[in-house]
Amino acid sequence: MSILKDLFHYDGNGWWKIPKTSEADENPPHEHPFGGFVIKFKNFITFITSGKGHAGPVYYWVIAGILGVITLIEVWWFDVEALAYLLVPAMLGFSILKFILVVAFFMHLRFDHKMYSTVFVTCMIIGIIIFTLFLFLSAFHGFGN
Amino acid sequence: MANQGITVHHGEEINNSTGVSNKKLLMWAFLGSDVMFFGTFIGTFMAYRNKSLVGPYPADTLDIPITSVSTFVLLMSSLGIVLALHYLKESKMALAKLWLILVIVMGLIFIGFQVYEFSHFAHIGMTPQVNLFGSTFFTLTSLHGAHVSLGILWLIFLLYNEYNGNLTSENAIDLELAGLYWHFVDIVWIIIFGLLYLITAGDGVPPGGVPWTGGH
Repeated sequence: MSILKDLFHYDGNGWWKIPKTSEADENPPHEHPFGGFVIKFKNFITFITSGKGHAGPVYYWVIAGILGVITLIEVWWFDVEALAYLLVPAMLGFSILKFILVVAFFMHLRFDHKMYSTVFVTCMIIGIIIFTLFLFLSAFHGFGN
Repeated sequence: MANQGITVHHGEEINNSTGVSNKKLLMWAFLGSDVMFFGTFIGTFMAYRNKSLVGPYPADTLDIPITSVSTFVLLMSSLGIVLALHYLKESKMALAKLWLILVIVMGLIFIGFQVYEFSHFAHIGMTPQVNLFGSTFFTLTSLHGAHVSLGILWLIFLLYNEYNGNLTSENAIDLELAGLYWHFVDIVWIIIFGLLYLITAGDGVPPGGVPWTGGH
């Protein structure tokens, strides 16, 4: 029992210093496996999306990098036959994700006045309704056959 | 910050009842109308998907590796325009000009890819009048190409103004509007690439269709 206590209870002297309980170390800084990485990453995402910090070139390069990686994944997915049955939902999902990234961050809608978003989103909803109606007409009336 | 009906947003003074830039609001309204415009054409393309009874079919024509490269170029041009705007707002004119030139070049490369693709299709016998796939494909992609071409002309005009000293950080809104238009053209291509190329590229002969025997 003494060995276990030595190993898993922080006594203030041992070189292992593994804080096991909140009693052993009040507010342990970063007890999870990734240390402070998760908290720092969350803070970074909050910072770049809150509009508090002015976006700089690095921020735009990061967004462009993400867009490039998504495009690579799209092309890779297209080539993998085993994933072909998921091609349509996957491509729709990737397209929507890229669309949101460009509109929100490159077009600055995430940080801009809500009136711009209202105008654009309203028109988009009408556009999606038109798009859906076309597909329904095609499916149930079979035009084009 | 509001002061007696005057709003200052991102360095731009706005003196109206809405508190937002009229120019920018009009641009967003235009882009909204363009969403409906392209939505109709993309919807038509999808509705007529797999309805062509004679070839060539998408599987015979679409070249995904080439289109992936042109898609990547257009995506990077979006990065270029946002950097050009950033540097213009910071009055770093040399960098702003450099990125604007790069965006124009990338736009021209994209159009070059489209010209190559269209001429290749025409060479193998795929034209707008040959079948439903050809009609809807050429209508949609050439309309998008026309948008890109207009965008390039707009950016050349702005670059000319920048060299003449007429485009500065004071009126960066002019480049911002062109940037919004350019990003929009980019997101339309994102949708076209996903739906029109990646999803339909595997479409072969539909039920009742005549197999395609080849081009000229």
